[in-house]
Amino acid sequence: MIERLGLLIPASSESGDLGAVLSLLAAPLVMGVLASLWRPQHSWPVALLSLLPIATLALLAHQVLAADGQAWLIELGALTLHWRANGLTLLLLLLTQVVSLASAAYAPAYLRTEIGSHGGQVWLWPLQGLLLSSLSLIWLAGDLLSLYVGLELMGLAAVGLMLLPGRVDALAAGMRYLLLALVGSLAFLLGVSLLLGAWARLDLAGLAQVAEPGIVLWVSVALLSAGLLLKAAAFPLHAWLAPVHGSAWTPVSALHAALVVKGSFFIALQLWLVLVPDAQVAAWLVGAMGGTAVVWGGLLAWRSAKLKEVVAWSTVSQIGYLLLGFSLLIGTSPSVTAVAWEATWLQLAAHSLAKAGMFLATGNLIFSTGESHVKGLAGASRRMPLSLLSFGIAAISLIGLPPSAGFTAKWLLLHASLEAGYWLWMVALALGTLLSGAYIFRVFRYSFVEDAEPLDYRRVPWSMELFALLLALSSLLLGLVAEWPLSLLRPAGGGP
Amino acid sequence: MPPFLDVLLALTVVALAALALVDRQLVRACSWFVAFALGVALTWLSQGFLWLALLEVVFGAALTGSFLFYSLGVRPGAVEPRGRLSRWRDPLPLTWRRGVLRLLPAVAVVIMLVMALADFGQVPGPQRLGGLGLIFLGLWAFALHRHLLRRLLAFNVIGTGIFLILMALVRDTTPAAGHGLVITGLVVALLGTALGSLLIRRLNGLDASRGSSVTLAEQGSG
Amino acid sequence: MSQAWLPLVTLATSLLVVPLIFALPERAWGARTVLNLGAALLKVLLVALMVWGLYQGESFHFSFTVVQGVTFLLQVDALGLMFAGLSSLLWLATTVYAIGYLEDSPNRKRFFGFFSLCVASTVGIALAGNLFTFLLFYELLTLSTYPLVVHRGHTKALDAGTTYLRYTLTGGLMLLLGVVALHVMVGDVTFGEREMLADLGPDAHGLLTVLFLILLVGLGVKAALVPLHGWLPRAMVAPAPVSALLHAVAVVKAGAFGIVRLVYDVYGISLTYELGLLTLLAVIATITILYGSIRALAQQELKPRLAYSTISQVSYIVLGISLFGPFGTVAGLVHLMHQGLMKVTLFYCAGNYAEELGIHRIDELNGAGRRMPLTSIAFTVGALGMIGLPPVAGFISKWYLGMGAVQANMPWVIAVLVVSSLLNAAYFLPILYRLWFRPGPAHGVGEWPDERRLGRFETSGWLLWPAVATAVFSVMVGLLAGVPFSPLDLATFVTAEEYLP
Repeated sequence: MIERLGLLIPASSESGDLGAVLSLLAAPLVMGVLASLWRPQHSWPVALLSLLPIATLALLAHQVLAADGQAWLIELGALTLHWRANGLTLLLLLLTQVVSLASAAYAPAYLRTEIGSHGGQVWLWPLQGLLLSSLSLIWLAGDLLSLYVGLELMGLAAVGLMLLPGRVDALAAGMRYLLLALVGSLAFLLGVSLLLGAWARLDLAGLAQVAEPGIVLWVSVALLSAGLLLKAAAFPLHAWLAPVHGSAWTPVSALHAALVVKGSFFIALQLWLVLVPDAQVAAWLVGAMGGTAVVWGGLLAWRSAKLKEVVAWSTVSQIGYLLLGFSLLIGTSPSVTAVAWEATWLQLAAHSLAKAGMFLATGNLIFSTGESHVKGLAGASRRMPLSLLSFGIAAISLIGLPPSAGFTAKWLLLHASLEAGYWLWMVALALGTLLSGAYIFRVFRYSFVEDAEPLDYRRVPWSMELFALLLALSSLLLGLVAEWPLSLLRPAGGGP
Repeated sequence: MPPFLDVLLALTVVALAALALVDRQLVRACSWFVAFALGVALTWLSQGFLWLALLEVVFGAALTGSFLFYSLGVRPGAVEPRGRLSRWRDPLPLTWRRGVLRLLPAVAVVIMLVMALADFGQVPGPQRLGGLGLIFLGLWAFALHRHLLRRLLAFNVIGTGIFLILMALVRDTTPAAGHGLVITGLVVALLGTALGSLLIRRLNGLDASRGSSVTLAEQGSG
Repeated sequence: MSQAWLPLVTLATSLLVVPLIFALPERAWGARTVLNLGAALLKVLLVALMVWGLYQGESFHFSFTVVQGVTFLLQVDALGLMFAGLSSLLWLATTVYAIGYLEDSPNRKRFFGFFSLCVASTVGIALAGNLFTFLLFYELLTLSTYPLVVHRGHTKALDAGTTYLRYTLTGGLMLLLGVVALHVMVGDVTFGEREMLADLGPDAHGLLTVLFLILLVGLGVKAALVPLHGWLPRAMVAPAPVSALLHAVAVVKAGAFGIVRLVYDVYGISLTYELGLLTLLAVIATITILYGSIRALAQQELKPRLAYSTISQVSYIVLGISLFGPFGTVAGLVHLMHQGLMKVTLFYCAGNYAEELGIHRIDELNGAGRRMPLTSIAFTVGALGMIGLPPVAGFISKWYLGMGAVQANMPWVIAVLVVSSLLNAAYFLPILYRLWFRPGPAHGVGEWPDERRLGRFETSGWLLWPAVATAVFSVMVGLLAGVPFSPLDLATFVTAEEYLP
């Protein structure tokens, strides 16, 4: 499996190659700091400054695709960092940029109309830039030190973004999130320390060769996984998620649910594939957690009174799908992994796009009606078809109905579970579908109520409508054209 | 340095950490923490890690200490504040029952760690045992206390314990990688503490202005 | 590959109308009407073009890869064209009807948007070339009909919508599981490659039987087979054009059409026969036919009676399929068309009575024949067709069903037909009697519940002409059954393909 992660790509010797990757990492941060010169309520600096990160990504993609993957060694004194990029990395980078861009384009109008001058708006762009840079580092990193740095920066940036509203509830939830994130990173660091102590190396490709099963390996994997799954809001470590989203700014929520939890998940999956690729029994445990998460998250979302909570808890459920994919990748036959591999990444992308779109659409609904409760939407379908439509399109992908990317991913997951003979996983997927149908259509049921009292509707600015719709549509259309991104995951020579 | 001194140093560090974590008087607890950080710096020095000692003094003792004091509203000549979070005593009572119950996660993690460390096959030195002690204390305190500041202290203590174990493990093989991790960890701990301190101050300010002081700390730490 | 664009364009005509309708403002009545009717007419034209092409021996394919091993495939075969033809024709009529029916009511933009999405999914189901594509549109149909079912927005409608979703989403899930399982076994299941599953040999028979049952449950929900029919009578709260659509064209027919595909194009009739599943289908169909008829007898309101009648009538299609032999197949396929025409007529008429006179209960219909003669004649034609009297289309279906029963050596089916026809007569004839022979408000006895005088004729022209047109069609397809391009001709064409190697 580790060749699929691109860890076996030989490093190129010329140091000139580093330019593209370094600028890719630095550009978001630099641009974020630059953008903070203007108030975030202006949209043109965002549009202008976000061009550079995209250009750097295009440059990197050009290099990487030409060579079918690329790796870099960065010498820092006695320390060597390993970075690499392959098709998967590029897709994740692209996903990060797309979601981040949509959220950034949504933010100015949102801040102007909904927030006014409250909160620490100056910090929005630098923190978002930092988040983007650290995520890019996570996707690129091939050694534990880089991963650790990326993980920590991402965590701190995420906490910072959550705190921006500055209200009591946001601060209280943010404090809780901060403490959890810090504990998670301690567990991660402890795991890394044990690995480094035992095998004296940090690069993943090397560890994959030398790591031997034993108590040290298991303790460190347990610690690493616990820390990462806590940050990924995997069941049963998910309780912090909804309160954090309840008070955060909408574009920040979108960014967080779409990308931050995925960063931790990616690291966890990568470490398992490197360290314990055959640990089927342990993977069952992870899968069982995932299955429980699917059901429990669905139930929580179903019972939620507030709109944002519905969306937030559905993340728990969707992360559960990812964990199911996770468990299908560890210790199963090659034909299963070939399918599950594509299923996992497609599910990740589908959820990112759909969830970000859904958060933005939810923000529009709340903005327009002034109601944060699901019941407050009564009769909304008469007045806000577009926001509701975006919500609905994103929901199609979350439920996994065709022709969305969520559906195609679920199809692949079902395929892989069936081929592996994991019947319970299929049951979890089926239950998840029904439950997500239940919580989504509960929202819609209210919106179709005809004899509700007319609400005081505010007009939603067009840019807010547009970017919610675009994200939702992209999650829908990705389902039909999934072959294009997924073909990047396969080695160029053909064959799985 | 003779092993006897090493042992003494490790014991001192653990004792200081324990003091910092159990003292009901928060300002005093923070002072103990600064002393603890200085003790850790000495330990690094005794191991020959000059840079880490220096960083520990600057980041761990000076900066983290100032942030902690800042969060309490301590400055020269300050009178004791009345806000719930910045009160100089931790107002939440502790019971034995709770204290014992919260030991469990800490014990579990430490047993796991001991098993893993035993697998390395070397005779464990005082640093490693000291680190284990710190992790144990920190975990226990983290689970036990509700006060945000004390949780930040506990987090810092656990972190230091991990650094000690890490450096003890890699001293002979790959010190460079160890340095990288520890320095990153130190910076992260500092940033985390800084963010936490700012939050405590801010929560306290909102708390006082809104007058609903009872629930906030619970919300923040629940 | 030569004509890839035709099925795609046919699909796109209604799919592209959706965003256009959503983009138009609510009050743009004229533009929306032109758009709706234009798209519906264009679709009829395109389907006609494909029918012509098919008779010329041309083939239409459009495909692309969705993920490795899974293809999105649109292809045109006679069976699919039958369904596409039915839906596009009735769509035109229903669009006209809906424009009249929803005049001055709120949320018309939403209604027509989802209405078009619904027809797009139906055409997609008809043109789907493999199980994956079929599933895609089958689920899309569920989604697009939900807003139509809850359109009125009162509690009863919302509850009906929830029930509808409970049934159809679960059904869709079963279908998904079954399709994925088949896909794991043999890869993409393209319709028409029947040897695929038969080649697996007797070892796979147990598994195939289980999968067939799973798929049957998934499809049976929409086809309203007993005991999966619970959503249909409750969905009656929807506006009349929606009921017409659910019952005659889109939803139940999608289920029935799916079962046809399952038996003929996925498993193949001989494999299904070999597995003993045809008998099972016949038994389920029989139960559904009798149960639906008996429940229909007990209904005092017009639309629920028609709803239970649908449950019963759709199962004739399943019954026809389950008779092993060409006549049974012809009967099932031809009834797919005939039932659609007749049932849509009945629902239009029920809607007309409700709109013009405020009639919902059967005992309010006394003497309505005098007040609304054309509507009542149309209703009579539909009802007589359902009973199976010549020369209306229903007679042909029942005739072929009987011959199929003889051919399949299942004489008990004839008894079922007789009983069911008697039951049909028992619940339709009293209505006809009231319409024509009982004195009512039109004769000066009592008053209509809510008379509105909607138009120059007995009611608004938008409502009247679709009903009359479909009634005329119902008679024509019965009278002219032997003419080329008639449903019977198409059904025979399909059957010949199925039974002749």
